Amino acid sequence: MVIKVKKDKEIFPEFSILKKCLTECEKGEEVIVLNVDAGLRQKRRLANLGILPGAKIKKKKDAPFRGPLEVIVKGSSLVIGRGLASKITVQCDESCND
Amino acid sequence: MSCHIPEKDSRTKGNNNKDTINIALAGNPNVGKSVIFNQLTGLSQTIGNWPGKTVEKKEGHLDFSGYHFNIVDLPGIYSLSTYSIEEIVSREYIVSKDVDIIINVIDSTNLERNLFFTFQLLELQIPMIIAMNQMDILRKRNIDLDFNLLQDLFKLPVLPVVAVHGTGVHQLLEKAIEMIHPPERNSYSNKNRIRSPELSQITTFGKEVENKVNLLLQSIKNSLTKGDNIIHYPPRFLGIKLLENDEEILKLLSNDAEFKEVINFANEYRKELEDYHGEDIHTILSSEIYKNINAIIEKVVKIKSHKELKKSSIADKLDHLTTHSIYGYVILVLVLIGIYMFTFTIGDFLGRLIDNSFNSWTEMIHSIFGESNFLINIFWDGALGGFFGGLAGVLVYVIPFFFVIEVLQDSGYLPRAAFLMDRMMHAIGVHGKTVITMILGFGCNVPACMGCRIMETEREKKISIALTSLVPCAAAMTVVMGLVGRYLGLGWVLVLFAINFSVILLVGRILNKVMPGKCTELIMEMHEYRVPNFNVIFKQTWMRTKGFIFKALPIIIGLGILLELLLIFNILEPINFILSPITVFWLGLPAVTGLFLLYGILRKELTLVLLSLFAANIGLTIVELLTPIQMIVFSLVTMLYVPCFATIVIIAKNSSWKYALQITFLEISLAILIGGIVHFGFLLFSGI
Repeated sequence: MVIKVKKDKEIFPEFSILKKCLTECEKGEEVIVLNVDAGLRQKRRLANLGILPGAKIKKKKDAPFRGPLEVIVKGSSLVIGRGLASKITVQCDESCND
Repeated sequence: MSCHIPEKDSRTKGNNNKDTINIALAGNPNVGKSVIFNQLTGLSQTIGNWPGKTVEKKEGHLDFSGYHFNIVDLPGIYSLSTYSIEEIVSREYIVSKDVDIIINVIDSTNLERNLFFTFQLLELQIPMIIAMNQMDILRKRNIDLDFNLLQDLFKLPVLPVVAVHGTGVHQLLEKAIEMIHPPERNSYSNKNRIRSPELSQITTFGKEVENKVNLLLQSIKNSLTKGDNIIHYPPRFLGIKLLENDEEILKLLSNDAEFKEVINFANEYRKELEDYHGEDIHTILSSEIYKNINAIIEKVVKIKSHKELKKSSIADKLDHLTTHSIYGYVILVLVLIGIYMFTFTIGDFLGRLIDNSFNSWTEMIHSIFGESNFLINIFWDGALGGFFGGLAGVLVYVIPFFFVIEVLQDSGYLPRAAFLMDRMMHAIGVHGKTVITMILGFGCNVPACMGCRIMETEREKKISIALTSLVPCAAAMTVVMGLVGRYLGLGWVLVLFAINFSVILLVGRILNKVMPGKCTELIMEMHEYRVPNFNVIFKQTWMRTKGFIFKALPIIIGLGILLELLLIFNILEPINFILSPITVFWLGLPAVTGLFLLYGILRKELTLVLLSLFAANIGLTIVELLTPIQMIVFSLVTMLYVPCFATIVIIAKNSSWKYALQITFLEISLAILIGGIVHFGFLLFSGI
C-alpha cells in the first residue's frame, strides 16, 4: 500500500491536490478512481463490478441521513455503503474542472 | 469435496439420451434470463435446491424440433469468483457433465458489465451461445451492434433477442441443435462448427500476466496428466484462479500432491505481478479484462445518432421519489401497508366466499345424514373442513401475497428500500440488504430466510436470519388480521405491530453486541425501474402456489382429520392440561389454545384455523370463545412465539441446527415473556 501512495504522488503530483474520497463528491460529479483501500474481498467485488483505478464513475446521489451512495459505473447503477465509499479515493475528471 | 465431482451418469436422466440437449442459462442479474427461461419452458418448471446448497435451482423442459431440452436457469451473478455461493454453484455446475451448451444472456444496453461475465464464462471452454437481449431498447436509442463482427471476435454464435416479446428466443435452440448436430450439407455451419469457444486473442491478458498464465498452464497440464482426472475445470481457468488465490480451487487442488509445486509457482507469480503493477491481483486481472472488453465495444457498437430517451423520464421520476429523503420513507410505509391491504382485501373476500358456501353445504350434508354420523364427522367436518379451512384461511392470502412480492421484485423497488434503510439497518448490525429479506419475510419466512444467503458474511447471514424469522409472515398476519383486525379494529393491529418491531430492534441490537466481528458494507446493483412482466409474474406466482398446495395443504387436511378424532375421543384434555400453567395462568388463555399453539408450529395460521374449527365444533363463535384481551395475547404469541417448522428447517440448513434451535428457544421465551406482560398489564390496568 505504501508503494501505491508514493507512486501516485510521484507520477501525478498535481492529483494529490484534487484527490478526495468518493463520499466528498457532489451529486452528479464525474470522477476517476485512483485507489480502493478496502479489504481483499470487497476490493475484488468492486474490481469485478468495474470500480478499478482509472475507471470513470459518476456520483448519482446520496441516500438520506448519511446513508449509502449511488454511483454510475460501466453504464449501470451501483449502491455502495458510505463506509466503503470513504475508502475509495477519486480524482476530479477533466470535464468538471472548467 | 465430493461436490466437485459431478456424477457421470446424471447426464442420462433425459428420456432419450441421444436427443437430449442440456442447456444452462447464465448471465448477470436482471438481464431477462428468467423471461427467456419462461418463454422456453412455460409451466413445465420445477423450483428446487441445488443438492446440499441453499441456492434455488430452476429447471424446465421442452420438446423442440425433435429434441428434448433440459434447461437450467442459473442464478444471476456478476463473476465466477467465490464471492457468493451462487458463483461457486454456477461454475461447478457449468463444468459438470450436465451441461452441453451455455446460453449467456446479455443486456445489450449494458455491454461493458455483462461482457465481464462472458469473459469469465469463456475461460470455462464450454460451447456457448451469446443472446443479446433488449435489442429493441438499444435500437430505439439508435445504437446497433455488428453481429457478424461479434461472431468473428468471439468465434461463437451471437444472436439478437427481445425476450419480452419472445423474439429470437427459439432461434437460440435452433442454434444449439446446429452446434450439437451440424447439418452435413450446410457448408457454412460445417465450416463454423463450434464445439467449445476458441480462446482467441480477445481473452488474452497483457504481456506480463499472460506470460505467467502460460507458465502455470504448462505445469498444470503436466500435473493433470499425472493425477487422477477428477478436475473438470480447464487448465487455463485453473491457472488464472490459482493466480487469483481462489479459495475453492486451492482447496480442490491442495488435496493432490501433484499440484503442490504449481500452487507454489502461482504464489510466486502473483507476488511478482503485484509488485510489478503496484496493485493487488484482482485489480490487475479485472482491469485487463475490462481493457479487452472496451476494445471490443469500440469495434462492434454502431451509434447512429445520439437521441435522448423520453421513456426513461418516468422511471427517473419514480426513482427520485422512491429514494427521496421524505417521500421515500412515506412510500416505503405505504408499500408495506399496500402489501397487507392487497393481500387482506382479496384474501378476505375470497375467504368469505369459500366459507359461506362450505357452511351452506355443511348444513345440507348434516340435514341429509344427521349431525352425529361418525364418518361424516371425520371426512366432511374433519378432512374437508381442514381443506376448506386451509383454502379459505391460507391459500386465499398466500396467492395475492406471492403476486405482490413478485411485482415488487420485478419492478425494481426492493433495492430502493435497501438503499433507504441501509443507514438504519447498520444500527442493528446488518446492512440495507436485510430489508429486502425482511420485506420478503412479510410473505413467508421460509423463502425470506433462504434469501438471507444474499448476505455476504456468516455474521450478517445469522443476524439477518434471526431478524427475518421475527417478521410477522402472511400466515401470522392472517391470525392477527382474522382475529384482532376483524373483531377489535386496525388500531390494535398497529399496536401489535409496534410490539413486534420493537422486539426485532431489540434482538438485532443484542445479537450485534453478542456476535463477534462487525458489519460489512453494502455493494448492490440498482437497476432502472421497469414495467413488470406480468407473464413472468403470473407464472412465478403459480409456481410458488403450486409448491404451497403440494407441501402444505396435505398437512392441513391430515391435521383436520386428526383434530376431529382427538375431539371425538376426548384426547385434547391431557395435552392442554400439561400446557395450562403457561397458557391459562401466565397468558390467561383458554386451556384448549395450548394444542392450537402446538399445531401452529407446523403452520402459524393453523392456530386460527383450528380455533375457528373448534369453535364451530362446539357451536360457538370466536367472540363467544375469546375475550378481546385473550385475542390480543393469542395473536401476539402467535406472531412471536416460534418460526414455523419449515422456517426452522431452512434456518438449520442455512446455518446450523444449533443456531436454529437457539433462535427457536429465544423466540418462544420472548413470546411467553411478552405475552404474559401484556396479559398482566391488562389485568392491572382494568383492576385500577
